[in-house]
Amino acid sequence: MIAEPLVVVVGAGGVGKTTVAAALAVASARSGEDTLVETFDPSRRLKDALGVGEVARDRPVAVQLSAPGQLAASVLDAKGTFDRLVARYAGDEAARRRILDNRFYRHLSGSLAGVLEYMAVERLFELASEGCFARVVLDTPPTAQALDFLDAPRRIVDFLDSGALRVALKPWFDERGRLKPTRRLGVLGRGVEAFFDTVVGLDLLKDMAEFFQAIAPLFDGFRQRALAVEELLRRRQTVFVLVASPAEQRIPDTLFFARKLAERRLRLAAVVINRIHPPLPSRRGRLAMAWAEQRRLLAWLGERDARGAAALKALLGQVPVVKLPMLEQEPASLAALERFARLLAKRWPATR
Amino acid sequence: MCAAVPSPVQLLRERRLLVVTGKGGVGKTAVSAALAAGLAGVGRRVLLLEVDPRESAHQLLDVPPSAGEIVAVGPELFLQNLSPRRVIDEVVRERLRLEVLVRRVLASPVYEHFAGGAPGLKELALLGHAWRVLHGRAAAGTPRVDTVVLDAPATGHGVSLLRAPSLVADVIRSGPFARMAQDISALIGEATRCGVVVVTTLHEMPVQEALELLGTLPSLLHRPLDVVVANAVLPPRAEGAEESDPAAETWQRLRGAQQRELARLRGRWGGPVVSLPLLAEQPGRPLVEVLRRRLEEEAQ
Repeated sequence: MIAEPLVVVVGAGGVGKTTVAAALAVASARSGEDTLVETFDPSRRLKDALGVGEVARDRPVAVQLSAPGQLAASVLDAKGTFDRLVARYAGDEAARRRILDNRFYRHLSGSLAGVLEYMAVERLFELASEGCFARVVLDTPPTAQALDFLDAPRRIVDFLDSGALRVALKPWFDERGRLKPTRRLGVLGRGVEAFFDTVVGLDLLKDMAEFFQAIAPLFDGFRQRALAVEELLRRRQTVFVLVASPAEQRIPDTLFFARKLAERRLRLAAVVINRIHPPLPSRRGRLAMAWAEQRRLLAWLGERDARGAAALKALLGQVPVVKLPMLEQEPASLAALERFARLLAKRWPATR
Repeated sequence: MCAAVPSPVQLLRERRLLVVTGKGGVGKTAVSAALAAGLAGVGRRVLLLEVDPRESAHQLLDVPPSAGEIVAVGPELFLQNLSPRRVIDEVVRERLRLEVLVRRVLASPVYEHFAGGAPGLKELALLGHAWRVLHGRAAAGTPRVDTVVLDAPATGHGVSLLRAPSLVADVIRSGPFARMAQDISALIGEATRCGVVVVTTLHEMPVQEALELLGTLPSLLHRPLDVVVANAVLPPRAEGAEESDPAAETWQRLRGAQQRELARLRGRWGGPVVSLPLLAEQPGRPLVEVLRRRLEEEAQ
């Protein structure tokens, strides 16, 4: 199906991305490649199906699949990945602790927009560098704006290059812990100071200043790393699979994302239109009125999804499209996941 | 049926702030719009606040897109699509007053990073805007309303929105954002003034997320939640379906899967669950009207 060793599965929330990622990984192991699927927030059912629990958080656990290739699964731990990144570039244990224990960092690593997305690609980079698997399938966090994910490494670099840090790294506080009048910064300094003084208070500022000073020596490492991660996404060995809903109102989002991938020269292997309600054969003869109405609702769902999927396929032009039906329930066993993977493989476009 | 149960509209009619939350793709915006329309129908003046930058509430209510402005949907119903950043800038403007300082601060890279990155600040700004509207402190020209219905952000858990005030209070100890955080915590914590509505479809992941919300929020907010809305529910199969018809079996299986999820939900949530039917309607005013009527009628 897919020849490339790195597969990134992207799409909006609620389209079944994680299940498609798991199915792609199963198909890959069945074709003889040792494969890891790195999931993000998998459902209870999918965890059951893969036979992985909390133990798979941040480390690969073997899945009991009988296939020519090995299959392993793990669950992304964004905070753990960030902590490792800090540890990698911190000079010593004291420097590491100073960052990890900072109050601003503790909140930042859990909640800053973009950190989660960046950590997903960072993890892909770690796994690719370790080289334990012939193929890695990466599931990604749901994003309203799917671009957050692609932009994440660039945003880190931009932030590190921005003036924010030059200002942030000025010695803001004197020995007594009072804010220094920053004459060198002129009006900007006074404005920033007035802003913090009256608007957020000085505690936050102290935490931020400490954080930036502690983390500054790591910036070079971070910056190189973010550039390498960005470069990894563009390499020939990486492809994207975009999972989409057949709903007509979601078509613009899907097209937008596909276009952005193309603009960035990222390679889109296929768009998977997932959870399509099946068409309903029409029925001759008289039906009881209430049932006829319910039947029309089912038929409407099928027609609506068929229309949406056809419109999306037409608008995507040359991009290969895979259509998958609505499952009554998410695969709850490995056997069910294998069935889903076989269906996915069967419908995958043959030509490459 | 036993004792009469108040409809969601009756149950929530005296609240000032209604936070509608749930997983992305469950129809949160349609339910928020129907709830707002229902409350406007019983004499409340209502502002529906949408947070998603991809506006869709205007389509449901058949008005032009808001682009950040307040749009009148009817005499008692208003719609606004809100960018958190606008609210944060507004607070800075009020505090610093001097235009030269305001411009310097808003253009400063430190502020840029602070406004974009300070944990919980964006979420706080959304709630803060609702608070200011309700207390007549929002920008000039904002209508006075009785109720704000907040269609919470689509991604992530509603938890991050509702816990933002306490998170901000932890990180920012003084100044207007700290005060804003305290005011909002007080409003959210009072079950007679604020309502929390959890929307879900009867599928595994949305129900899972609803259960997480129902499990975490009460202890975090020190108050019970109000109502769960189960959206896009299939009713029991009608009489007269022939067993030979494949559609009859499809209906049974889809409904069976939904009912299992409903049982799981009810097993862990003793409060009211309101079911809204799956409808053969694309998003638009007719859909909102049907949902509104259901929200005025039913509770189980």
